[in-house]
Amino acid sequence: MSADEQFAQARAGNAAALVALIREHQRAIYSIALRMLGTREGAEDLTQEVFMQLGAKIGSIASKEHLRFWLRQVTANRAIDQLRHDARFQMLPLCEESPLFRESEHADPLLQKHLHALLAELSAPARAVLLLRYQEDLDPGDIARALEMPINTVKSHLKRSLEALRNRCGLTTT
Amino acid sequence: MSDDLERRLRQALRPVSPGEEFSVRMQERVALASRPPAPGSNSTPRRVAASWWLSAGLAASLLLALGVRHRAGEAQERLAGLAARQQVFVALRVTNQKLDLACRTVLSESRDQP
Repeated sequence: MSADEQFAQARAGNAAALVALIREHQRAIYSIALRMLGTREGAEDLTQEVFMQLGAKIGSIASKEHLRFWLRQVTANRAIDQLRHDARFQMLPLCEESPLFRESEHADPLLQKHLHALLAELSAPARAVLLLRYQEDLDPGDIARALEMPINTVKSHLKRSLEALRNRCGLTTT
Repeated sequence: MSDDLERRLRQALRPVSPGEEFSVRMQERVALASRPPAPGSNSTPRRVAASWWLSAGLAASLLLALGVRHRAGEAQERLAGLAARQQVFVALRVTNQKLDLACRTVLSESRDQP
């Protein structure tokens, strides 16, 4: 079955096709939730909520591209709302065994440590901008649309976050 | 330098897996929620029909209660009318008897006068 057929079947109410779509996107959605909220428990709850909402709204999603954008938009905005309303999520936990990053042979533990500290410091919208740009590779225009903020605000969040990370890593500005 | 930092940032921010156990749990939940209702279960048309019959039954009961109340009111009024008529008859009879008595008294007194 092609990806387009799978999407069409999910829209038509085929549960197996919907599960396949979820499987395709769950790593990205879970990772946004985890890096926004900072806890496994919070990330799992948010991921489930987003996919339950997808199950109810799939009929109104026009295409696979729309689906990809919609999932990231809903996840980021729900996480921002949660961070604003729930004091438990205001700061990321700073424990060493945090599961925020992937263990791999290419991993840069020092950068991960600085990045973790930076994410903990950033406001919820700035955190979402950084993740949508560098985890999900959305361009600033799409990030502005997803988070309903001016594009210049997106660009200034990105600039400030990169500067802060560069300073943490001891890199000079070019 | 900036490009290198961005590249390293992208690498560090590659998605992490939620774990197979969580994936299975979540997918089962979503699949269950999106499954159409089984035949014979509380499907929407049945619920609509049931609510229609409930509304119709309530409306019929209300009309019946209003009708009974109206009929009971009419009967009560008829009984009150009959009672009032009875009272008028009694009053007329008493008056008639009093007038009769007065008339006889006057006549006997006029007969006894010299």
